[in-house]
Amino acid sequence: MLSILSALGGLILAPFAGGLLSGVDRRLTARLQSRVGPPLLQPFYDMLKLFGKEPKVTNAWLVFSAYVYLISSAFALFIFFMGGDLLLLFFVLTIGAVFQVVGAICVPSPYSQVGAQRELLLMLAYEPILILVFVGFAMCTGSFMISDVFRLDSPLLLKMPLLFLALGYALTIKLRKSPFDISAGHHGHQELVRGVQTEYSGPYLALIEIGHWLDLVLILGLCAMFWHTSVIGMCILAAASLFTEILIDNITARLTWQWMVQKQSLLVGMGFALVNLLWLYVA
Amino acid sequence: MLNFLIFCCVALPFIVGLALYCVPGGAMRKILVPSTVVVMAMAAIGLGANGPFHLEAQDFLGLPLDAAFTFLDFILLGYILFLGWNLRSRLIMGMTVLQLAGLVYLKGVLTDQATPVTGFAPDGLSLIMVIIICVVGGLITIYSLGYMDIHEEHLHLRASRKPRFFAIVFCFLGAMNGLVLCNNLAWMFFFWEVTTLCSFFLISHDRTEIANTNAFRALWMNVLGGLAFVSAMLFIQKSLGTLSTEIVLQKMTALDIKNTAMLMPFAFLCLAAFTKSAQVPFESWLCGAMVAPTPVSALLHSATMVKAGTYLLLRMAPAFAGTTMSTIVALFGAFTFVGTCMLAVSQSDAKKILAYSTIANLGLIITCVGINTAASMVAATMIIVYHSVSKGLLFMCVGSIEQRIGSRDIEDMRGLYSAMPRTATITTIGIFTMMLPPFGMLIGKWMAIEAIARATQAMTPILFFIALGSAFTVLFWARWAGILISSANLREYPVRGIHRPTVIFALRTLCGVALLFSFISPMVLKDFVGPSVSGIYARFNLRAEGFIPGANFTGVEGYSWIYLLFVLLALGAWFAWRATRRVPEKAHSLPYFSGLAVRRGNEVGFNGPMNVFEPARVSNYYLAQYFGEERITRGIDVISTAFLIVLVGGLL
Repeated sequence: MLSILSALGGLILAPFAGGLLSGVDRRLTARLQSRVGPPLLQPFYDMLKLFGKEPKVTNAWLVFSAYVYLISSAFALFIFFMGGDLLLLFFVLTIGAVFQVVGAICVPSPYSQVGAQRELLLMLAYEPILILVFVGFAMCTGSFMISDVFRLDSPLLLKMPLLFLALGYALTIKLRKSPFDISAGHHGHQELVRGVQTEYSGPYLALIEIGHWLDLVLILGLCAMFWHTSVIGMCILAAASLFTEILIDNITARLTWQWMVQKQSLLVGMGFALVNLLWLYVA
Repeated sequence: MLNFLIFCCVALPFIVGLALYCVPGGAMRKILVPSTVVVMAMAAIGLGANGPFHLEAQDFLGLPLDAAFTFLDFILLGYILFLGWNLRSRLIMGMTVLQLAGLVYLKGVLTDQATPVTGFAPDGLSLIMVIIICVVGGLITIYSLGYMDIHEEHLHLRASRKPRFFAIVFCFLGAMNGLVLCNNLAWMFFFWEVTTLCSFFLISHDRTEIANTNAFRALWMNVLGGLAFVSAMLFIQKSLGTLSTEIVLQKMTALDIKNTAMLMPFAFLCLAAFTKSAQVPFESWLCGAMVAPTPVSALLHSATMVKAGTYLLLRMAPAFAGTTMSTIVALFGAFTFVGTCMLAVSQSDAKKILAYSTIANLGLIITCVGINTAASMVAATMIIVYHSVSKGLLFMCVGSIEQRIGSRDIEDMRGLYSAMPRTATITTIGIFTMMLPPFGMLIGKWMAIEAIARATQAMTPILFFIALGSAFTVLFWARWAGILISSANLREYPVRGIHRPTVIFALRTLCGVALLFSFISPMVLKDFVGPSVSGIYARFNLRAEGFIPGANFTGVEGYSWIYLLFVLLALGAWFAWRATRRVPEKAHSLPYFSGLAVRRGNEVGFNGPMNVFEPARVSNYYLAQYFGEERITRGIDVISTAFLIVLVGGLL
C-alpha cells in the first residue's frame, strides 16, 4: 500500500520535475547558442496558455489519441515507480507511441502523415534496442522486475556499459532530439511544420506536452538505474545523460531516415546491445 | 457421454457436410448451418469442461475403427493420386505413391502386435484447440452464409456452388477436431490428409486460373508434409513399437540420452508441421491461398489448417526437450518471425499483410516450442488462442470491406471510417488486439520474451530476431489502424449498410469475444492454459522448472496487481473515450495546410493553378527497396532451407 501511495506521489510530482527539466533544457540550449533564453518556468507558462485556448480539432480520434498517449505515459511511469516489470513498461510505452502515430495518420494532413511515417521508422529504430537493454537487466538480476535491480551489490554500469550507450541511442530517438528529430522537432530543419504533432492544438497539445515531460522523467530514471548503489551516482548519471542529450541536440544536423535506420540505429545501437548481451551471456 | 460429444465434434460435421452437398436448398442451409455450429460449440465446451480423458474406442457401431481408418487412408491417398494424374503433376503423383508404399509397409510389415492403441487421449491443449475450432471456426461458417450470398451475386454464377463450399467447410472443421482429439498417429494422419485435401478444394473454389495455380501449390507442399508424416510414423513404429502419441511421449521423456534414431522421426514431424503451418520456405502456399473467398482465408489462418502444424509440434515437444534439435527449431521459428514481419512491411494488400503476420506469429509459436520449457509452452498456447480469435476477426473484416469498396489495398481504405464507421472501428479493435496490451496476443508475446530470456541455448540470436520482428510488427499494424479511422469530419455516424445479418452477427460476436477474452486473459492463463501445460508436464514426469518465469504473472500477488493494471488501462481508455465524446461540434476545423486548406466532399486539399482543386495525397512508406518480396524472398528461402537441412542432417 505504502509503495502504491509513494508511486502515486511520484507520479503527481513527475510533471513538475519534467517541466523544470524541460525549462533547464531550453536555458542550456539557449546558452549553447549564445542566447539568454527564457525563464526557467517558461514551460509551465506555455502550458497554462495552451490550456486556456479554445479546442480545435479535425476529428475526434485526435482527442482520443492525445488522452491515450498521456495515460500510457503516466502508467509507464507508475510501473517504473512501483518497481514493476520492465517488459510491461515497454509495452505500455508502445501504446502511447502507437496512438501518437494513429492520431497523426487519422487526419488527412500531409504534414502529420509524413511525420507519422517517419515516427514509425523511429520506433523501428529504438524498440529492438529497448527490448535488448531490458533483457540485459534481466540477465544481470535474474528477473524483469525493476525492484530486483536494487538487490544487486555493484552498479549495473560496470556490467553493461555498452548497453548504457545503446540505451542512450534509443532515448535520443525516443525524445526526438536532433539528429533523430525527423518526425517532429524543435528545430525547423525537418521542414514538416511539427510533424506528428501538427494537428494538435490548444489543450490537446498541452496533454501531449505533459506526456512528453513524463517520458523525459521515465527515461532519465531508466538511465539512473545503471548506478543504483548511490543516490549521488544516480543524480550524476541522470544529469550527465540529460546534458549529453542537449549537447548532441545542438551540435548535430538532421538525418535522412535511411541513414538513421540503417547506419546509426541498427548497426551502432543494436551492435552495442548485442555485444554486451553476449558478454553477459559468457560471463 | 464422451462418445456422444466426440461424435458431435468429429463425425457430425462430416454427416452435415454430406447432407448439405446432397440437398442443395438455400432454406435448409440457413437452418442447418447455424444449428450444427451451435451443437458443435456446445459439444466442444462440454469436452473442455470434462477435462483430459482416455477413451479406448476400438469400434464404432460394431465397425472396427482402426481397420476403417486404414481403409479410408488408402482411399484418400488414392484420390490424391488421381488428382495428381488429373493435374498432370509427376511431383504430386510421386510423393503420393511414396506415401502409399510407406503406408503399405507400415500396415503390412510393421504391424503393431502390442495392445491396441487408445483411440482418444486428448490433453488440455487438445481441448483448448477443439473449443477454438468449434467456436471461432463456427462463427466463420456463419459469417460465410452472408458472405457467400454476396460473393456469388458478384460472380453471376449460373448454378450456385454454395452446397459444395459449405460441405467442404464442415468436413474441414470435423477433420481438425479429429486431428486434435485422436491419439493414434495413423488416425491423425488420415485427418491431416483430409485437411490438405479440403484446403485444396477451398483454395480452388472460384475456379479461376490463379486459384487453380495456387491450389496446386498448396497441394504439393502439403503432400510433401504428408510424406514427412508417413516417414515419421515408419521411424516411430520401428524404434518405439507403437503409434500411440501418449506412449511415444512417455517412452521419449523417460530416455536420458536421445540418439539420432530416436530423434529422427521428430525431425520429420517438424518438417510436416512446417509445411502445414506455412513456415518459410513453404510460406508461398498460404500467401497464395488469399485468392479464395475470404471465409476460406479466415478459416485457414485462424482456427484450422495452420494451427494443425503448431498443435502437432506442441504435442510432440516434450519428446525432444533439451536437445540441440529443439534449439534449431527455435532458431528456425525466430528466423521465420523476423523474415515474414519484414515482408509484411512492404505489402499494401490487406490480405497479404494478414497472411505474413499469421506466418510470423506461427514462427513465434514454433520458437516457443523450440525453447521447450513449461513457460514457453504456456506462451505458445496463449498465442494460439488469441491469434485465432483476432486473426479470424480481421479476415472477416477485410472480407466485408472488400465487398463494400471493391478493393483490399490498405491505401484504398483511407476514409473508410466515413463509409462504414462500425466495420472500421471493429477492424481497428482487431488490429489493436493483435499488438497492444492489455490484449491477449501481447500477453503471449510478453511471456514468450520472458521464456526466451531464460533459455539456455542460443538465447541472444533468438532474442535479436524476436526484438527486431516485434518492431516491424508495430510498424505495419499501427499505420493500417490509423488509415482505417482517418476522416475529415469531427464524428461519423453509421448509415444503414448492405451487410447481411449473419455477417454483422459474426463480426460483432467475435469482436466481443476478442475484447472479453483479452480482458480476462490473466484468468485464462491462470485457470485454463497454465493448468493444461502443467498437466502435460505432470503426465510425463517432466520437471516444470522455471514455470511461469519470475512468478510475476501467476504468482498470487503478481497476478492481482497485473489485473489491477488492466482495470486501470481499461478505465483510462474509457476516460479518453468520454473526453472524446465531449468535444463540441464547433471545435471542428480543417487540417493545417499552410493556410490554403480547402475541402471538397471528404477530400482535403488546396486550390491550385487555374483554381483547380488539388487533393492532398499521401501514401505509406512501404520500403520496397529494402523489404520488397522480390528483393528478400529468395534470401529468406535459401536461409530457411539451410535451417531445414541442418535440422534433419544435423542428426546424422
